[in-house]
Amino acid sequence: MEPMELIALAIFIGVYGLIMSERIHRTVAAMVGASLVLLIKIVPWERVPEYLDLDTILLLAGMMVVVNVARESGLFEYIAIKTAKLSKGSPMKVLLLFSVVTAVVSAFLDNVTTVLLLTPMLLYITKKMNVNPIPFLLSEVFASNIGGTATLIGDPPNIMIGSAANLSFNEFILNMGPIALVDLFATIGIIYLAYRAEMNSHKENEEGIRMTIMSMDERDAIRDSSLFRKSIVVLIGVVIGFFFHDKLGVEPAVIALTGASILLLWSRASPEHALEKVEWATLFFFGGLFIIVGSLVETGAIAQVANWMVGHVHNEGEAILIISWFSAFSSAIVDNIPFTATMIPLIKAMGSHMNTYPLWWALSLGACLGGNGTAIGASANVVVIGIAHREGVRITFNDFLKVGMTIMITTVAIGTAIIWLRYVGL
Amino acid sequence: MGWLHDIILRKFNNIAGTRYEEILKAYQNFFLTEEELVIPEINSILLVFDRFSEKVPEEVHETLSAFEGATLRVVYVIDEGVLKMIRETLGEEAAEEFRKKDMAFAKTFLKEVEEKLGDLNIKFSRKIAFGDKAEYVEGLARKYDLIVISRHYGSETTRTHRVSPIVFRIVQHVDKPVVLY
Repeated sequence: MEPMELIALAIFIGVYGLIMSERIHRTVAAMVGASLVLLIKIVPWERVPEYLDLDTILLLAGMMVVVNVARESGLFEYIAIKTAKLSKGSPMKVLLLFSVVTAVVSAFLDNVTTVLLLTPMLLYITKKMNVNPIPFLLSEVFASNIGGTATLIGDPPNIMIGSAANLSFNEFILNMGPIALVDLFATIGIIYLAYRAEMNSHKENEEGIRMTIMSMDERDAIRDSSLFRKSIVVLIGVVIGFFFHDKLGVEPAVIALTGASILLLWSRASPEHALEKVEWATLFFFGGLFIIVGSLVETGAIAQVANWMVGHVHNEGEAILIISWFSAFSSAIVDNIPFTATMIPLIKAMGSHMNTYPLWWALSLGACLGGNGTAIGASANVVVIGIAHREGVRITFNDFLKVGMTIMITTVAIGTAIIWLRYVGL
Repeated sequence: MGWLHDIILRKFNNIAGTRYEEILKAYQNFFLTEEELVIPEINSILLVFDRFSEKVPEEVHETLSAFEGATLRVVYVIDEGVLKMIRETLGEEAAEEFRKKDMAFAKTFLKEVEEKLGDLNIKFSRKIAFGDKAEYVEGLARKYDLIVISRHYGSETTRTHRVSPIVFRIVQHVDKPVVLY
C-alpha cells in the first residue's frame, strides 16, 4: 500500500469511528476528514466538483425548503390528527393506519421529519388508549425506513444511488415499490404477532378514548390556510414532476429546486426564514463524506477492493446476495449514508466486469432496510427512541434489536428474493 | 448497554433536539390536558340555535350519543331586539312579517334537527323563544349541565373572527361546559 493510500484509509476509518461514537457531531467529523484530505492534497482542489455530488445535495436542499415551508402551514399536524381520528381509538387501526401513513409520507419526504411530526401524536393516542406504546413506535420506525426504500427521494442512500447510477424516479418505484409494499405488510404482521397481547385497550374505556380522539379538530392545525393549500398543490406538483423527470430530461434536483422556488414565490414566504430551516449540517455532512470517499478513489483503494470482489464473485446472482446482505448488516451498525457513499464507487468499479444494474437495487435494499436492524441503524430509529425517552417510554438497545433484527432479516430476504427473481430468475 | 443508550440520546440531540421542541409546542394546542379529559356528569343538555347557527355536525351527534339517559332541550332563539327595531322603524306589519318568517324558518330548522336527534336515544323537548340572544342563554344555562352552541350563533362571522362575539360572551359568563361546533 502507498503511504497516501494508508493515510486516506486512516482518515476514512477515523471519521467512521467518530460518526459511530457520536462524540462529536457527524458533520464536524466529516468536515474535519474532508479538510485533511484536501490539505494533504490527496484529493486535488480541482477534482472537488467531480466528487461533490451536487445532484444529491441540491435535491436534498430543494426538498428541505419545500417541506419546511409546508410545515409552517400545519400540513403535517393536520395529517397526524386526521390519521388519529380515522383510527377511532382502535389499537389495531392505530397500528395499521399510522404505519401506512408513515410509510407513504416517508416515501416522499425525509424519514426524520416524518417521524418527528407523527411520533408526538402516536404517543398521545397510545397514552389515552392505555396501551404499551412500544409496538406502535417500533412499527412507525420500521414503516418509515421501509417507505423510504420505495422511491428515489425516500431515503438519502436512494438519492445518492439514483444520482450515481442515473436511475429515474420511475425505475425506483418499479423496482423498490413492490418490495416496500410487501415488506410493510409483513412488518405490520410481525409486530402484531409479537405484541398482540399488549394491543388490547380496556373495553370500558373505549367510548372515552374515542371521544378524546374525536374531540381534536384537524382544521385547528392549519396555521395558514392559504399556505396550506399552496403547499399541497406544490407538493403534488413536485411528486408529479418526479414521475416525469426522465421524460422531461431534467434531474430530480431540478424538480425539487423548481418546487421550492414556486412555493417561495407563490406563498411570499420569507426566503431568509425558509433557508434558515434548511439542514445545512446535513448538507455539509454529505459534502464532507463525498470528498473523503473521493480520497479512497484517488488513491486506488476502492479499485483494489472492487478488483478483489470481482475476483471472488462469479456472477450477478452472487453479487446481489453479497451486496444486499453485506449492506444490510453494515447499515445496521454504521450510518447508511457514509456506507452508501463508500459502496457507490465500488459498484461503479465492478461495472467493467458485470452488469451492475441489479446491484444498485441490492445496495438500495440493504442500505435502507438494514437501518431497521439496530437502534442506531437509521436516524428515524434514534429520533423515535429519543422522543420516547423524553416522554418517559424507555426502548432499550436490546428491546429494539430483538424485533429490529427479525424485521431486517425478513424484509431483506423478501427484497432479495424479488430482485433475484426479476434479474436472475429461477 | 447504557453507553449505547447514551449514544442514541446524543444522536437524537444532534439530529432533532431543537426541531422536536418546536414541533411539540405546535402540538400542545391540540392535546387535551388531564383536567380537560375528566368527563363531567351530564344529565341535561341545552342545544341552542338561531338563524346564523349551522346544523349540528356528525362529531357533535357522536358526542351527544355518549350521554345516554340525559335530557336534551333544543331552543331556537329569535332576537327580540331586532323585532323591536323593525317595529319602531318599519312598523307593526313589517315586524309581524319578520316574526312569521323567522318562526317558519325556526320550525323547519328544528324539524330537521329533531329528525337527526331521533337516532340518538335521548329524551328531548324543543322550544322557540324570543329574547336577547346572549342573556337568554346565560339565564337558561344555570339549569343545564352542558351547553351546545354553534360558533356562529348570534352573528355572522368573518374569516378573521371564527367565533361570534355573542358566543364569546356566553362562554365567558356561563360556568358550565360548552361544546362549540
